[in-house]
Amino acid sequence: MEVKIPLKQHIGMASTPIVKIGDEIMKGQLIAIPNGLGANIHSSVYGKIVEINSTRVSIEVYENQPDDYMKIEPKNTRLELVEGAGIVGAGGAGFPTHVKLNTKLEDGYVIMNAAECEPELNHNMERIMKDPHLLMRGLKYAMEITNANKGYIAIKPKNKRPLIELGKAIKGEKNIEIKFLPDMYPAGDERVIIREILGIKLKPGQLPIEARTVVLNVETLKNIALAIEDRRPVITKDITVTGRVKEAEKVFLDVPIGMPVKYYIKKCGGYTEPYGEILLGGPFTGKSGDEYSPITKMTGGILVSMPFPSDKRKFGLIGCECGAQIDRLKEIVEGMGGEVVATTNCKRMIDVGGRFRCEEPGVCPGQAEKVIGLKKNGADVILVGTCET
Amino acid sequence: MAITEETAMEHKNSFAITCCRFEEGTIIGPSNIEDPNIIPDLEDSGLLDIPQNCLKIGEVLGAKLKKTVDALTPLTEELVEGINKMEENKEAKDEEIEEVKEEPQEIKKQSKLQIANSSGNIKIHIGEGKDINIEIPYLITNNNMMQDNNVAQDVNKIENEREEEKTTKIYEDKEIRKLKRKYFKIEEVKFGSETKIEGKTLYIRKDICKEAISKEELVVDMKLDIITPNRYNEFSNTIMDVQPIATKEEGELGEGITRVIDGVVMMVTGTDENSVQIGEFGSSEGIMEENIMWNRPGSPEKGEIFIKTDVMIKEGKNMERPGPMAAHKVTDYITQEIRDALKKASEDLVIKTEEYVQKRRPNKKKIVIVKEIMGQGAMHDNYILPQEPVGVLGAKANVDLGNVPIVVSPLQVLDGCIHALTCIGPASKETSRHYFREPLVLEAMMDEELDLAAVVFVGSPQANSEKFYVSKLLGMTVEAMDIDGAIVTTEGFGNNHVDFASHIEEIGRRGISVVGMTFAAVQGQLVVGNKYMNAMVDNNKSEDGIENEILSNNCLCKEDAIRAIYMLKAEMAGEKILSPDRKYSSEVKLNNIDLIEKGTGNKIELVKNEGSLKLEEK
Repeated sequence: MEVKIPLKQHIGMASTPIVKIGDEIMKGQLIAIPNGLGANIHSSVYGKIVEINSTRVSIEVYENQPDDYMKIEPKNTRLELVEGAGIVGAGGAGFPTHVKLNTKLEDGYVIMNAAECEPELNHNMERIMKDPHLLMRGLKYAMEITNANKGYIAIKPKNKRPLIELGKAIKGEKNIEIKFLPDMYPAGDERVIIREILGIKLKPGQLPIEARTVVLNVETLKNIALAIEDRRPVITKDITVTGRVKEAEKVFLDVPIGMPVKYYIKKCGGYTEPYGEILLGGPFTGKSGDEYSPITKMTGGILVSMPFPSDKRKFGLIGCECGAQIDRLKEIVEGMGGEVVATTNCKRMIDVGGRFRCEEPGVCPGQAEKVIGLKKNGADVILVGTCET
Repeated sequence: MAITEETAMEHKNSFAITCCRFEEGTIIGPSNIEDPNIIPDLEDSGLLDIPQNCLKIGEVLGAKLKKTVDALTPLTEELVEGINKMEENKEAKDEEIEEVKEEPQEIKKQSKLQIANSSGNIKIHIGEGKDINIEIPYLITNNNMMQDNNVAQDVNKIENEREEEKTTKIYEDKEIRKLKRKYFKIEEVKFGSETKIEGKTLYIRKDICKEAISKEELVVDMKLDIITPNRYNEFSNTIMDVQPIATKEEGELGEGITRVIDGVVMMVTGTDENSVQIGEFGSSEGIMEENIMWNRPGSPEKGEIFIKTDVMIKEGKNMERPGPMAAHKVTDYITQEIRDALKKASEDLVIKTEEYVQKRRPNKKKIVIVKEIMGQGAMHDNYILPQEPVGVLGAKANVDLGNVPIVVSPLQVLDGCIHALTCIGPASKETSRHYFREPLVLEAMMDEELDLAAVVFVGSPQANSEKFYVSKLLGMTVEAMDIDGAIVTTEGFGNNHVDFASHIEEIGRRGISVVGMTFAAVQGQLVVGNKYMNAMVDNNKSEDGIENEILSNNCLCKEDAIRAIYMLKAEMAGEKILSPDRKYSSEVKLNNIDLIEKGTGNKIELVKNEGSLKLEEK
């Protein structure tokens, strides 16, 4: 078996490999280093390098895979350990965590994002049930690194058991508090969390730092704690497999990075026929992938969808930031056999430095004006990206 | 999470806490209310503080929220308008009574006339101390048959005949089979040139060990030791099993005559080549007298001689299935030779006999005992139905049988149909000897108010999906038995509680009264539950409610069996079992024992716990 470890598992540039074909490597060994904004990448297995190209390093996996791993080098500071471990935002964005934490939040906040925002996904909740104390320590390390004096845990109250576990873990901690999020999508969006918990409305494109806040996903905090306590690099990921598989909504904790998605679909008993495309991520923000797509540091959900219905009409598209954007909507129309005649973006979308951002995630507006515009351009039917559930 | 209408009604006297954020003006329904079952956990975690003026669920249903409230807000008069005034009903008062986990109230003398025509019969149940059941065919409903007079008449005739038969026939206890045990007292065990019994001395062949070792590939070495009471203070590796030495004289296992050695037990102990104990999650290695809880059904009696094997198996094989099995097989090679000698022993040496009679009592409440046994593989396995009591030959491992429910007679249990591979959590695991002296089977079988139909063994597999698989089959097994009640027992705790709970649910949802027995207390708290788990007996004996790694300490004893039986009788009679306080307390047990003693006038002797041993610092 081979694992294919992508060189870009984060926002920024692809990392640069530092191994050669034929090298025998250990689990945890550093195999690629950042090239500008990015993160270290480590091997998730014991094996031999068999392929290196501009996008990935492929490793032939040895049969014997001891639990031990090669620890990252000792460092002087905790922030350096986070950097050394190659931690990136595990919630799906993949922003390098050491960059995010390299700030001083005097009188500021670190928020544990336990929203498990996308419907159907459950691996964050299982992680909480398994390691509440580890997560709490990760939160405290992040607070110490950034000098934040308050920690919040943002969670939906419907997740009662995880909530109780976290409540027990923070008992007696004066500066950590649990805050409830509404049960909606995109409650886990950084700006939504800050809006709901601190009551501060950030403008599109404004970063949480402007509210003196750093928001970190549950699993990112787990990785921070493990990097600091055990010098463990990021070599595994928690995932949920769901949709048209025999055993849906199945969670796998600590899956080696680089494993093909297919392996876990099989572990869920295989596909339920008929099935369509494989989405990596959640139902809202998932990107189309295939059976051989590797698990990365950012993979959360593996979603096997329904086959596309057939619809050959003329489509107008309205793109969304939090839901499907124009590219994704085009993919869907193509999948259905339709034709795209006109596209536009939701009226909440604002161009911020070349990227469209939503003014108010989770609160979707009426689209009369956009609809009329699309009809004028010959659309018989309209496909809309949205995030209101 | 929101609750259902049903739960809301059941818990109308519980505190009303919102489960999520709700807007002003919301009319409160069950979907706005937090599940009362998790409120104590929420309080424990510090997420919830319930004020004194918090309203009850029954008071807020249908009322309106005056303000927008966040999740986990206790509802009070300031927040709600249109509160239902609840009358101080009986249930509300009930809650003030001290609640106990297990309350087998004395069964009241019944003189109820119960009429049921579900099966086409009128059942008249007159119970006044001694129960009498009369069953008469119920003909009035046979209207459909009147369409064809001939048929109807014929049927009537037959039914009438049957009626006569039934009304005149008195249901008597029916003897099914008997098991006789003949005891041979052994006061001394010695090595000799051949294995034989002479008087009260047992000789074991000197060179037997070498031969036994050669039979098992995985066994590297074995020492055979004879532990007399003056050596109880010596070290032993973890005790994997305690076994009676018994052999069939006549009949198959479960009936006929069995010869038993009195005063000597077999003890299997062992490690792997690296001195790793053959155990998981606790092991009982150490000074024997500090790690054995004497006089439990499954443990040695103080004063008994142990024929102790100390088996060394291949490195790393302690956690693989064939490893522990090899340790048991190699020991059984020796036991078998003693059994053969016991068969030849002179009849004159019998010092006492016991007779167990299995009876069916057709006019009494029909019950079944379900015993969950370990079936995860490795050391968690059991050989079922060997040819000799607690032997190996002829038996099949329940893991190989797929852990599915297996029906045996109570006498098969008492005749050693279970050879237990019992290496984990020694305080709550049942050894082979435990089954040979199983107190619940004994109590239930002898209870003249009960009709014990069978004992069902069901393995506890590793995977959750398999746990539910065996549990579904258990449900169908008991359904086919048409029973009134069941007692489900388990050994160990934790993972096996998943299927234990599921078994109780499968039985309970078929309308059968069910009582569960397990070690739980502090360390073994149930991780899962369902609404049929309202009648539970805790086997804990330890002072602190923990798995203290003392052999058999927290296993099912006679006092637990009695409580379970009375609790089941109470359930079957429709009595309410009160729920216990959240925190474990041995008070509940003592209170129930007290109730039973008062109700029956019989004193129940309670066994001692580890406090009676010299405790070793572990």
